[in-house]
Amino acid sequence: MRMSLAHRRWVWALRALLALALLGAGGAVARWGGAYLQRLVILFLINLMLVVSLNLFTGLTGVFSLGHVGFMALGAYTSAILTLPPALKAVNLPDLPAPLSNVTLPFLPALVAGGLVATAVAFLIGIPVLRLSGHFVAVATLGFLIIVRVVLINAEAFTRGTRTFTGVPPATTLGWAALWALLNLYVAMRVKGSALGLQIRAARDDPWGAQGVGVALGRVRLVAFLISAFFTGVAGGLWAHFLTAFSPNAFYFSKTFEIVVMMIVGGMGSISGSVLGTLLVMGSTELLRNLEPGISIGSITLGPLYGLSQIGLAILLMLLIAFRRQGLLGDREWGLEPIAERLGAWWEGRRAERVSLRVRKADP
Amino acid sequence: MQTLGSLEFWIQQGINALGLGSQYALMAVGLAMVFAVMRLINFAHGTVMMAGAYIGWLLLQRGTPFPLVALGMVLGAAALGIAMERVAYRPVRGAPDVALLLNSFAVAVLLENLAILIFSPRSRPFPMPEILTQVLHPGGDLFLPSIHLWALGGALLALTALALFVTRTRLGLAMRAAAENPTAAQLMGIDIGKVTLLAFAIGSAMAGLAVLFWTAHVGTINPGMGFEPVLKAFVACVIGGFGTIPGAVLGGYLLGALEIFLQGILPSGVVGYRDALVYAVLILILLARPGGVLGYLEAERV
Amino acid sequence: MRPLLRWMTLLLAVLLTAAACQPSPASPPPSPTAAAPAPPSAASPTPGAAAPIRIGAPFNLTGGMASIDVPAANGARLAAEEINATGGVLGHPLELLIRDTKTDPATAANVVTQLIEQDKVVAVIGFNDSDYVLAAGPICQRAGVPFITVGATSPRLPGQVGDMLFLAPFGDNVQAAVGAEFAFEKFGKTAYLLWDKGAEYTTVLAKYFKARFTELGGTIVLEDTYQSGDKDFSAQIAKVKALPQQPAFYYIAALPDDVGTIVKQFRNAGIAGPIVGGDGYDTPLLIEVAGPAAESVFFTTHSLLTADSPNERVRKFVAAYKQKYGTEPEAVFAALGYDSVYMLAEAIRRAGSTNGRAIQQALENLRDFHGVTGVINYSPQSHIPQKGVTVIEAKGGKFTLAAERVPQKVPAP
Repeated sequence: MRMSLAHRRWVWALRALLALALLGAGGAVARWGGAYLQRLVILFLINLMLVVSLNLFTGLTGVFSLGHVGFMALGAYTSAILTLPPALKAVNLPDLPAPLSNVTLPFLPALVAGGLVATAVAFLIGIPVLRLSGHFVAVATLGFLIIVRVVLINAEAFTRGTRTFTGVPPATTLGWAALWALLNLYVAMRVKGSALGLQIRAARDDPWGAQGVGVALGRVRLVAFLISAFFTGVAGGLWAHFLTAFSPNAFYFSKTFEIVVMMIVGGMGSISGSVLGTLLVMGSTELLRNLEPGISIGSITLGPLYGLSQIGLAILLMLLIAFRRQGLLGDREWGLEPIAERLGAWWEGRRAERVSLRVRKADP
Repeated sequence: MQTLGSLEFWIQQGINALGLGSQYALMAVGLAMVFAVMRLINFAHGTVMMAGAYIGWLLLQRGTPFPLVALGMVLGAAALGIAMERVAYRPVRGAPDVALLLNSFAVAVLLENLAILIFSPRSRPFPMPEILTQVLHPGGDLFLPSIHLWALGGALLALTALALFVTRTRLGLAMRAAAENPTAAQLMGIDIGKVTLLAFAIGSAMAGLAVLFWTAHVGTINPGMGFEPVLKAFVACVIGGFGTIPGAVLGGYLLGALEIFLQGILPSGVVGYRDALVYAVLILILLARPGGVLGYLEAERV
Repeated sequence: MRPLLRWMTLLLAVLLTAAACQPSPASPPPSPTAAAPAPPSAASPTPGAAAPIRIGAPFNLTGGMASIDVPAANGARLAAEEINATGGVLGHPLELLIRDTKTDPATAANVVTQLIEQDKVVAVIGFNDSDYVLAAGPICQRAGVPFITVGATSPRLPGQVGDMLFLAPFGDNVQAAVGAEFAFEKFGKTAYLLWDKGAEYTTVLAKYFKARFTELGGTIVLEDTYQSGDKDFSAQIAKVKALPQQPAFYYIAALPDDVGTIVKQFRNAGIAGPIVGGDGYDTPLLIEVAGPAAESVFFTTHSLLTADSPNERVRKFVAAYKQKYGTEPEAVFAALGYDSVYMLAEAIRRAGSTNGRAIQQALENLRDFHGVTGVINYSPQSHIPQKGVTVIEAKGGKFTLAAERVPQKVPAP
């Protein structure tokens, strides 16, 4: 698409404005927001990473993964083991093998290591599994999720098994979460717009045709899978250092369902849709949860209705699949271009008006 | 473990595998039924089982004689299946497989949380008559809960009845046609809507029957009770071949045998990995024979 | 049109989020005023004015933990109502803010943060599992809000969280030690050990049992596990039956939902020896499901909770619970939830204040508190109550007292 210079300026101006607004909002939350609000924002950013990464794979390739929470678990446990101070390791993980038992990494390398472990495992399972067709990948990745859980429960030397893994330093701050989320968004956008992204989407829309023009289906899927697994692993690490205590139970079906719903609501294949979906689902969940202890409408009191937020979410998802199957944004992006275009047109219009006015004045 | 060498031990584990397999087979048949017609992995199948159990429990509370309770469970589950198809699945017909799968997830979450609201999450005892709970001693020190024989009978009966139904009746033929090729079937004047509804009704009735026998084995019911059975049924279907009723039955027995023998032979340090091995086998089967052991459905490879 | 729709969705999303972050205007009926009530201070207790003392009560009322947490929340609610019916604490009614945390540790941490920050609770009681205690505990610790966990029994919790945390139950090492000592003396030196590998409580219980039992000189002849969610135990049973000689007893660590099923299936297969377990067995389900098969089942728990107990407190509790909820207490967690609230009320009374540190000090010095689950003593050295362990035998379709004991030696946490 050809873009005029003026138009591009508008886009950049809007981007700057948006960045400033986000920065301002983030600063305001960090400075004046209460602990509860800050927690929600951090959790939003982590969930956003999980959703965007899942979307990067599932949305673009059209192949459904139900195993991404497994990567999240790998990232969480890996980074947590690496940052745990040796004194705590001696108490909590007495059977940890030697190189790990006296190593303590700073937060950032530990996060990256978590992401890399997730990527490595994704590579191992991706090679065989991604050659299957859509439905079967969903089944196989579901199997992977369950296998990860069983391994986490049994590898007690590394994970404490079902006993809570605790003592993880609370290193995830709003800044870290925002930084990673932005990086994740940026990479996702770039991948989607790149030649690779085009190949991936071509393969999704017409596998045989794409293969006909030389797209190596298995390879491009695998690349998307690996990038996606990396960021999911990092998100797991952020989550671990946010919550500081967790067990294998946290990485199972309900988390999978939550992330998938967020992705579906926003639209499969749309990165900006993921932002919207995460925001909408988290917002309505929190709202409904706050209504659970009892709703007073005038003199009528309803409740308590524990479970309301899950019911609301389920109904939201059902309605969406029935009436807006492609999600709120489908696979389109919600860019700044259309707005810039309008602003530009409006500006041009005003200028033309002024010019014509001047022309008319000058030419009585 | 030299103690495990005895013949009796292996016979006993064989009986156990057959018993558990019968239960799984019965759970899987209903799931396969719906899949065959709708291409839908109905995750809410387990929730239908749960609902059937609570219908039975409510009837029991009112002092209903047991045969009627059993009938109520089967018919109640079927009615719920019909309602579910009408309300939750019909509006999304034609959606991609994955959207359908998620829709069924949503239905499962919805029903489970409703059950928590209505019945509270606590487990309830579900007393069953002697005939379902007695244990047979076929000889030596062997034991066999009679309920497994009931499940076996139920699975075989369902298998025969369904086979007769789909080969001998018009409606059954229509169902098979719809499963084979929905578009062509529709062009031939088959009412896909009716066929789908029928598949849901029969599949859910099977869920009602399955939960009757499963509950007799377990003894309690609670709102979350459907989760494990639907996973087992799902795995059984994948192993046996999705969309075929005989495949579901075979898959149920294979899964039962796999679980029992792994639990039986793995040393205590490793036995915790049992389910990881089960799912590894599942993935291997998917890779080697994506259509399952009996699958006609040959998955496209890329 | 379309961009408009999208912008409106975004607006809606933002509004929803903003609304969700607001202090809940719809907190429970007793306080229609949204304004945060000024917690009464020691200096100026305002009797009659009755600004409620708010106590946070986060529980997993839905999801996998629900069948354990709901009875605990019910017990806590019952206690708060009883206390309010008799005039409250320091002249103020208690307001128990029961919140559902969905069996999700992230939600648990959020909810506790919100309770402390927006609802200004003076203390928190709740949770029956370490996952949630450890997610929420540090938040209470940092905010200086005392936190009594109703049912999490890992003895390492106070060390992991800090001095604001108190356990209402005894640690698992204590009850496992009593189980091992009792069974060793009464049944013999050989045991079969089975536990649920998918739950922390059962894993820890089995570990401590094994430690104490082998220390006493006992032998575990066979060790086996099952997975949470398993309902068929025939493979495990076949292994037991294949043993050349049956052990003196069977120690099975299981969650309340499973005990009836396991005992039933073991007995049905012809295994008649004594079965021993922990306080997970303290549920009517054991006898309701297993029926006569529950004979000769022994378990360690907090106290004998029956309607005909010799302890008047227990009788009163069981009757009141049955009247309010239409059922006997579903699990021992109901009694622990009940005791937690009474303990907290007593501490507030003794502190004469709702200051967090003052309540913590009062709890730390709580001695000789007679609760439904036994006599509770805390000390600055131990935030796990030093109380006796009750051993119960299922006999003739009823729970009967088999022994009351204190362990001779407790395995290190």
